[in-house]
Amino acid sequence: MNYYLRRLWQAVFTLVVVIALTFVLYRMMPGGPIEQMEQRMIDEAIGSGQDPDLQYIRRMVEIRTGIDPNKPMYIEFYEYMRDIILYQDFGESINSGDPVFDILFYAMPWSIFVSVYGLLIGFTANIVLGAVMAYYEGSRFDSGSTIVAVVLNSIPYYVGAVIMLAFLSFQWELFPTGGRYWAGTEPGFSIEFALGVLHHGALPIMSTILIGFGGTALSMRGNCIRVMGSNYLRVARLRGLSDSRIATRYVGRNAILPLYTGFMIGLAGIFGSSIIMEQIFTYPGVGWYTFDALNQRDYPLLMGILIFFSTVTVIGVLIADLTYGLIDPRASSNDREGF
Amino acid sequence: MSDSSLHSAGSVSKPDTIFEVENVSVSFDMNRGHSRVVDDVSVEIERDEIIGVVGESGSGKSMFAAALLDAVVEPGLLSGEITYYPEDGEPIDVLSLDDDELRRFRWEEVAMVDQGAMDSFNPTMSIEEHFRETILAHEANLEEGMDHARELLAELYLDPDRVFEAYPHELSGGMQQRTLIALSMVLKPNVIVMDEPTAALDLLMQRSITSLISQLRDKYGITVIFITHDLPLVAGLADRLGVMYAFDFVEFGPTYDVLKDAAHPYTRALLKAVPNTLTPLEDMRPIDGDSPDPVDVPRGCSYHPRCPLATQECIDSDPSFYEVHGDRERLSACHHWEDAAEAIPYSLSTEERV
Amino acid sequence: MARSADPVVELDNVQVHFNDTGFIDKLRGDETIVHAVEDVSLDIAENEAIALVGESGCGKTTLGKVAVGLQRPTGGTIRYRGQDIWEAKENGRNSEIPYSKIRQSLQIVHQDPGSSLNPNRTVLTSLEVPLKMTQSEMGADAREQRIYQLLEYLGMKPPQDYAHRYPHQLSGGEQQRVALGRALLMSPDVILADEAVSALDVSLRVEMMDLMHDLQEVFNTSFVFISHDFANARYFAGKVGGKIGVMYLGELVEFGPAEEVIRNPQHPYTKVLSWATPTLDPDLAAEESMDPPVRKIDIPDPVNPPSGCRFHTRCPDAREACARESPSLQRGETDSLVSCFRMDDQHEYWNSDPFEGDDDPTEREHAGEQ
Repeated sequence: MNYYLRRLWQAVFTLVVVIALTFVLYRMMPGGPIEQMEQRMIDEAIGSGQDPDLQYIRRMVEIRTGIDPNKPMYIEFYEYMRDIILYQDFGESINSGDPVFDILFYAMPWSIFVSVYGLLIGFTANIVLGAVMAYYEGSRFDSGSTIVAVVLNSIPYYVGAVIMLAFLSFQWELFPTGGRYWAGTEPGFSIEFALGVLHHGALPIMSTILIGFGGTALSMRGNCIRVMGSNYLRVARLRGLSDSRIATRYVGRNAILPLYTGFMIGLAGIFGSSIIMEQIFTYPGVGWYTFDALNQRDYPLLMGILIFFSTVTVIGVLIADLTYGLIDPRASSNDREGF
Repeated sequence: MSDSSLHSAGSVSKPDTIFEVENVSVSFDMNRGHSRVVDDVSVEIERDEIIGVVGESGSGKSMFAAALLDAVVEPGLLSGEITYYPEDGEPIDVLSLDDDELRRFRWEEVAMVDQGAMDSFNPTMSIEEHFRETILAHEANLEEGMDHARELLAELYLDPDRVFEAYPHELSGGMQQRTLIALSMVLKPNVIVMDEPTAALDLLMQRSITSLISQLRDKYGITVIFITHDLPLVAGLADRLGVMYAFDFVEFGPTYDVLKDAAHPYTRALLKAVPNTLTPLEDMRPIDGDSPDPVDVPRGCSYHPRCPLATQECIDSDPSFYEVHGDRERLSACHHWEDAAEAIPYSLSTEERV
Repeated sequence: MARSADPVVELDNVQVHFNDTGFIDKLRGDETIVHAVEDVSLDIAENEAIALVGESGCGKTTLGKVAVGLQRPTGGTIRYRGQDIWEAKENGRNSEIPYSKIRQSLQIVHQDPGSSLNPNRTVLTSLEVPLKMTQSEMGADAREQRIYQLLEYLGMKPPQDYAHRYPHQLSGGEQQRVALGRALLMSPDVILADEAVSALDVSLRVEMMDLMHDLQEVFNTSFVFISHDFANARYFAGKVGGKIGVMYLGELVEFGPAEEVIRNPQHPYTKVLSWATPTLDPDLAAEESMDPPVRKIDIPDPVNPPSGCRFHTRCPDAREACARESPSLQRGETDSLVSCFRMDDQHEYWNSDPFEGDDDPTEREHAGEQ
């Protein structure tokens, strides 16, 4: 139990540090949101021929950013943390004025849809490929697949995405070039809508599969070969176990386990790459808004996204760690070194 | 083991053979040349005996063990003939069994325990599951089998409940080794091949395990082939010893006789070189020279470059077994076995010197 | 306790506890302390051979590492020629004997030489490192000659051939020789040989130990030889008139001249080890009991060592007194120092009830079968 508590505590600690960091960045960054907004309002005032009323501008900035320079820092910090943790209040987007939380909340399911499916399909394909490669170790199939895996692994995903978009959407018009569902359909539980979602999501999902494709297959291949050479597998064969049991319970399980944590961390990596990918496919998920916010210097939204990405990563690693103890009995106990 | 003398006395009638190994070789093709790691070995193993196979690392003893179960790893090539005689029923030609027959032959008739006990269990599976899957794979009665497993574990000074629910890493090396012995016996095999089963364990655990093996043999009537480099370890355990040098046996005999008055110069040199607590310290001597390379085994008697008795005869002809003192139980592959005692004296205790 | 006239290294009441407590455990006040070494005093004289024996987990390696300054004791002191080693490390230049000199004088040879030698370096380059350190004024040619000499001395002929090999091209015995040679080039006063022959075939062990004895004579080096094997310890210490120390769960339970400890074991635990050492004499083997002379064959957890005499949970002679009070080293009828109440005729042990034990029935039932 100590192990679980310890991991949980670490996760919470990491999140608090991240939120605190956004607080500090938000306030202290040179050219940060306050200065920037002030500057813009002054420019606007001058542009419209008025004398800039600094007093008024400061008040407006205060209201829009929620930062009151007269309040002591620790009270500000307390309120910032309280709003986020208790009320999920990340402030409002500078550009649209909508609450940051709402923007992210509506965009998130789309991003999760694309990345989870992409990751799951990619991971499964990789594992199967790696296992087959290991089974035929040294064969022409093995060396051929190794080359393909290395090549695929070194092609940047955005290059793959652009190529797919160019051929599959524009050239052959098999898939739509953007959007999340057909404009004519109402979001809801209808077959029409669901098919539209799948059709629109297919390309982003495929390009997600492409991310790190091959790398996992090569790791899986290595793990399989290591397990197949182990003494316990030799003993299992001598004990007369069936090939299918050896393949699943011995080779499969012991070879996939080390990849498990990588899978969970991969989740975070995919959210990161969604920034560019969703832009390419004009797919309004979290990544798309991130790109937008970066362009517009929409700091509150950016901070919200930073917290969001960190949360996803920390939760992913946490789930991996916690469940790892369930599937791998060696992880949960503290092995003491001999002395 | 006082009953070892009984075995040799009772050898007037033909001993009840359980394994007959004839001209078995294991070879590998390496870049440096053709390497024979078991070289034309012939040996008979008697039912219900504990035979100690002693040899240095790289003498071919582990390959010999694997050959008995037709489990030589690729790309090793196994040739020769191995016949297994069940208590009742037709003799089995081990090397011509098909996959399914071999699968049943292993563990049901002949089981194996090797030195890698720390690495013999699936790290992500409980010990109980190992027993269960083994019983099920051989279509044996699960309940009876598990009861037998519990009994075996208890006999090996283990708490069956605790061991069953444990994962391999939760057991100490000694516990894993004993668990592996129980696992090897769960299907009630007639033969257990043990390849260095106590290497890497503490002295006390080694000795306890050898005692337990002896007790299990007496209780269940199994034949044990105990393979080790540690001569003193089998001295108190085996009924009979077979000494391997350079990929073949050089001496056979009842343990008592071999230890008291070994008839091969290598065995005698080995007895002098092994640290023990009785031999006077000034009498212990390392064996001169190096062990041979499997690619380039000396011709004639493979021990001749290191042997003080070597003559031209030893270089010209590879000695076959001589009966020592007319005793057909005692065999020595040495042209000059009669002179060995005088040329290489040794003593096993402080008082006497053979 | 185990004192000598002019020691190179003195250990006084050394204690090593490893803290194995996690952060959350600490918050909750749960501490996991491994008692690796408990109150051991030992002197290592010039040109001496001391063998430490015991089961794995008895703390022999930890004690050995304390003796060569690789492990800081949590209690007690360790001095090199009168200078406290850990004080020297902290004081830097102010100490009488500089720490670097001490470090150089105390060397270690590991059980697995394969992993202690750099796989990407030839024998020659591995051996050059200590020479460059100790004799920086030496020219490259002279250094090479010196290494060839050493290799020849270590029985690795022709040295020019061996010098250019990589560790994987050497046998286990040869790797161990190189590791030993590397330690010797530092001209150490004490070498800790941690299970240095255990990985070798029995037939090669005597040769390796003979080599160490030769080197001891030539280089005037003391050896602390760690082994779980009584026969090896006997040969190593006995051949050169050295001593054997028997350790159990962090404590030194018997210490005396090698042959004395082997032939005339006093402590019940030493007797167990003696039983466990297989004999080659078939007549004697036939007389020996097959059952181990212990209550349990598995060693207790060093996190919670038993009260009183730590061996009492396994000791066949244990009485109630042993669970209450812990004995200290004292001289019995022989030259050995023994930590057992049975050495003292006057002790209340003799009037106390036999120890019943408190463990699970399976194990006691079997022990009772003897």
